[in-house]
Amino acid sequence: MKRSTLHQTTLYAAVFLVCAFLIFPIYWLFITAISPPDQLRVLPPRFWPEIPRWEVFGQVIRERPILLWLGNSALAAIGSVILSMTVSVLAGYSLSRFRVRGGQSLGLFILTAKMLPATLLVIPLFGIFRTMDLIGSLWSIILAHATLIIPFTTWMLKGYFDTIPRELEQAAMVDGCSPLGAMVRVILPVSAPGLAATALYGFVLSWSDYAYARTFLTNAQTNWTANLGITTMKGEYISNWGDISAASILIALPVLIIYLFLERYLVGGLTAGAEK
Amino acid sequence: MAGIHIENVTKSYGQLSVLKNFSLEVSDGEFVVFVGPSGCGKSTMLKILAGLEEASSGTIRIGGRDVTDLAPGDRDIAMVFQNYALYPHLTVRKNMGFGLKMRGTDPTEIDKRVTEAAKILGVDHLLDRRPKALSGGQRQRVALGRAIVREPQAFLMDEPLSNLDAKLRVHTRAEISALHKRLGVTTIYVTHDQIEAMTMADRIVIMKDGAIQQIADPDTMFKKPANLFVAGFIGSPGMNFLRATVNTNGPSPAARIFGYDVPLRIPQSFAGREVILGLRPEHIAAGPGAVTFDVMPRLVESLGSEKYVYVDVPVENRVEAARTGGDERRADTIIARLINPDERVTEGPIKLSFDPARLHLFDATTQASIE
Repeated sequence: MKRSTLHQTTLYAAVFLVCAFLIFPIYWLFITAISPPDQLRVLPPRFWPEIPRWEVFGQVIRERPILLWLGNSALAAIGSVILSMTVSVLAGYSLSRFRVRGGQSLGLFILTAKMLPATLLVIPLFGIFRTMDLIGSLWSIILAHATLIIPFTTWMLKGYFDTIPRELEQAAMVDGCSPLGAMVRVILPVSAPGLAATALYGFVLSWSDYAYARTFLTNAQTNWTANLGITTMKGEYISNWGDISAASILIALPVLIIYLFLERYLVGGLTAGAEK
Repeated sequence: MAGIHIENVTKSYGQLSVLKNFSLEVSDGEFVVFVGPSGCGKSTMLKILAGLEEASSGTIRIGGRDVTDLAPGDRDIAMVFQNYALYPHLTVRKNMGFGLKMRGTDPTEIDKRVTEAAKILGVDHLLDRRPKALSGGQRQRVALGRAIVREPQAFLMDEPLSNLDAKLRVHTRAEISALHKRLGVTTIYVTHDQIEAMTMADRIVIMKDGAIQQIADPDTMFKKPANLFVAGFIGSPGMNFLRATVNTNGPSPAARIFGYDVPLRIPQSFAGREVILGLRPEHIAAGPGAVTFDVMPRLVESLGSEKYVYVDVPVENRVEAARTGGDERRADTIIARLINPDERVTEGPIKLSFDPARLHLFDATTQASIE
């Protein structure tokens, strides 16, 4: 069926509007970063500064321990993703493949943890980490983030494993693999798109966390994550919004780069050809 | 190569018994086909043989070695799956060599055997492709290749042709038979298609509701079915069934069908008993014969070289068992398969006939064949 020109135009207009709505805050963050402070609150607003302050990014990196914060954020995110993926790959695979008494209820119970707001878990987690002497350590937020990531990624991966024909691991077992070997050698490579999407979800969730970092890391400045560090750039009376915006862009960049890198996995399609 | 010995294997899921005392002796190099309708337990038995499912009880020996509790990889068997189960992330070469790699075979030897198998199956030009870049038929050949490079003691094939189109299925069926003759490896093949079973098997194991109905070579299975189920399942179209009561009005026992007393070769003691008479569609001929009856065809289907004539069955001869034989044919109709028939068969009343010696007799209660 051929679409009418009017239909086509309306569709493109709607897509443009939605994109503009989503991209505008990012664009404004960028403009705020490169605009001189005296041009930030002028009316009518300037949509591009007369003299862009490109040097602001280098200046923020020199004046603030942004790289240290980014490193801590990366450590926390990578640590929580590794921990979460290890647990949720095994749990998701088990829920997908093995029929055990109460397995369905157990799976749903895991998901209830995801239904609780993160702030609700802060207090009990603080108590646990204090007992374990982990307050101030990056391990505290690695473990805390994992508690948030694992329930959801377990279900994401279970759903993905469900789509992979069981005959694949049966063929691998007939070929000489153990059940674990079949999972590692056949199912995990085939699940690469699902694993990438799940890992990315965990990474972004950990990277964007503020509440846990604010609670567990406040007294350990050298372990601050980027999100926590950036809030300290806001003064009580004066805030340099240009610097804060520049730092925000620097913090957002890694996630953007990872998205671009993993995009081909996220679109999936690797399982095509496994069966008829 | 090796023989396979299956002794009293059962499989139950709680109260549900899906395999009942399955026992079978497969000779070295034999091609045995498990056939039966969906849910009859044939695939379950194959998976138990492969070690992919655990038997509830019973023993399995391959090549004299008890493999009942061994892992699939330790049984020295290869399996071809219905959906091929090729590893999508590996090339054809790596797919075929995977089993050998798992067994620690030298890479040069793997390469040699993969190349040889690929040549046999005509997929040597596809070795560096991924499965998604292959057609259905090519994937099927690669799946076969993955099985043969291992040089296992037995092949297990789970409906390997059911995803192919009709033409390719016939072609590949012949290829698998030829491959079996060439390699001589003991093969157990599962299918729900009785034509595949008849054309490929040295022996057929026909199953229903988890129990073996008959084990025989294709000709015996066709000529001497053990019961009503086997009689209805084997043959296309399936056997016609007619209910009748044995009478002794004449010199020998007879049954009244289509209004005629047809003599039966059974003892006098059967007098008064209800029997089911089986008559294969191809054993009904156009024109007069030993037993002739006039009918008005309900429908005539022409296949060019042959015609299927559908004929209404008198009420007293109708039998519900006609529905249980594997095809969903109506109980009130029989089919006559007329080879090279007269063109006039298509309209008007016609004479059909059959030889009473061709009739199969079954007990109406037990459904077992009456010899």
